[in-house]
Amino acid sequence: MTVLRRSNLLRLVVLGAPLALVATMILGPLAIMAAVSFWKKTGLTMKPAFTFDAYATFLGGVRFTVFLRSFWMAVSSTAIMLLIAYPVAYAVARKVRPDLTRAVLFLFSVPFLVNYILRTFSWADILGRSGAVNDALIGLGLIDAPLNWLLFSDFAIYLGLVTAYMPFMVFPIWLSLSGIDRRMQEASWMLGEGPLRTFLRVTLPLSLPGVFAAAIFGFVGAFGEFAVSSILGGTGYQLMGNSIVSALNVINYPLAAAMSSFSVLIMFGLLLAWFRLFDLRLFLGKIMGRS
Amino acid sequence: MTRSFKSRLSTWAVWLFLAVVLGFLYLPLFPPAIHSLRGPTVQEGGLWANYRAIADDPLLVGGIWNTVLIGVLVALITPVISLLIAQALRAWKKPRLILGLVLLPLFIPGVSMGVATALFFRILGVDPSIMTMTMVQVLWALPFSTLVILTVMANFDDVYLEAAHMLGANRLQAFFEIELPQVYQGILGGGIFALILSFNETIRTSIVQGGENTVQTYLWSQYQQIGLNPTLFALMTLLIGLTLLLVALMALLEMRQARGRRAG
Repeated sequence: MTVLRRSNLLRLVVLGAPLALVATMILGPLAIMAAVSFWKKTGLTMKPAFTFDAYATFLGGVRFTVFLRSFWMAVSSTAIMLLIAYPVAYAVARKVRPDLTRAVLFLFSVPFLVNYILRTFSWADILGRSGAVNDALIGLGLIDAPLNWLLFSDFAIYLGLVTAYMPFMVFPIWLSLSGIDRRMQEASWMLGEGPLRTFLRVTLPLSLPGVFAAAIFGFVGAFGEFAVSSILGGTGYQLMGNSIVSALNVINYPLAAAMSSFSVLIMFGLLLAWFRLFDLRLFLGKIMGRS
Repeated sequence: MTRSFKSRLSTWAVWLFLAVVLGFLYLPLFPPAIHSLRGPTVQEGGLWANYRAIADDPLLVGGIWNTVLIGVLVALITPVISLLIAQALRAWKKPRLILGLVLLPLFIPGVSMGVATALFFRILGVDPSIMTMTMVQVLWALPFSTLVILTVMANFDDVYLEAAHMLGANRLQAFFEIELPQVYQGILGGGIFALILSFNETIRTSIVQGGENTVQTYLWSQYQQIGLNPTLFALMTLLIGLTLLLVALMALLEMRQARGRRAG
């Protein structure tokens, strides 16, 4: 009896300790950041207090326009990413031969694993005035002078954001699509619905858990972006990530904390909506096996 | 006849679409290699001059050693924690809570997580060091590595464990002698995945880096201070090449594993 109890205790420690450590290392920093966002900045340091100074500085100043721009860029680029990632995931789940599925998914995961900052440097090079795209267009005689709007423009930002975050979004959507029971679709056909209406009323709604997860991932990435904006946006172009880093650079920790907390709060809102709307088991059933 | 032609056409359209998207994703992997073999340095010092120049910068060489050290630590620590979390997930039947916690870093902007961790360490009085950089990267790699290990564990039937228990094995014996041999390739895969993510992490690390550098934080700070140069392109080429090599290794492992599953 005591042996059994001791082995249970051991199990509790062995399995519980890493979990507790991870929880501390993830939730602890977030809690401290939320606390610091109410602190007071004093010269080069900060002191505990309960003021809304940092939030007032953020919401009342030029940083708020950065927030609005970030929000809009995140929403619009997420829409573009979904418009690409969904057809890709759909094609992989439904059109590609099953024995090739893993290989195709693998091809999509490779670029995601290479630091997107390096990939963004490459875009700056490809899109520049003397870059490959302009050279090719001039060489083909399609344009006389290099196009200026390719680099340091919204177009470049969108391209950078999409290539940075879209590849990963294919996976949750594919996971969701491949988990759908095909008989649902067949039932819809048998009941006389065409392919388009079947897609809109059966397949699409059933794949929404994955779509929403992918959208949160893309939105969060684009919203907090700092590298794509500073490489492809040109001097002075800022997204939320740049604004937070610039607050860190002037050693205004409460302000950086306030802006970060605000971003995390938005993300928590989205995640909560996701948990409310969808069943995680439905989405991750494949991974979690029989449990 | 027309029907089969139409279906063949649609198959081609699907592959064309996938190829175009993949083209866009792979295109940015090439320019650094081209630029690393160009420039006045190459005309003077030969084709590999820019690569040799990497070794001349002591700051960068220090960064390379840090990257290797942190990468190895992350690759060793992450899969072990992932495995224990995956075991806890199976033992305690609280998938929403546990998985939600572990996957959380995926959904927090890197800058925000970096700021939060930096403040956390600062208030606890922990100075930035190799250790803090390692911890930040482990947390970033954890969701991916845990998903890899969970996928492998989902293919392992718990019945074998019960059989082992009935034959008198205790939990540890059952794990090490029955389950581990079945899932170790997933653990290896999780470790390589963590290594790749460690090699390619910038922002979270750069906020808690203190005086130390990794290759990636060095690259980013050089870009911000003086801009890119051929040596940095050579460095990027090496990083991309190494990442692709590790990815290939991971794919090889997975293929062997899939073949093993089919054979078994």
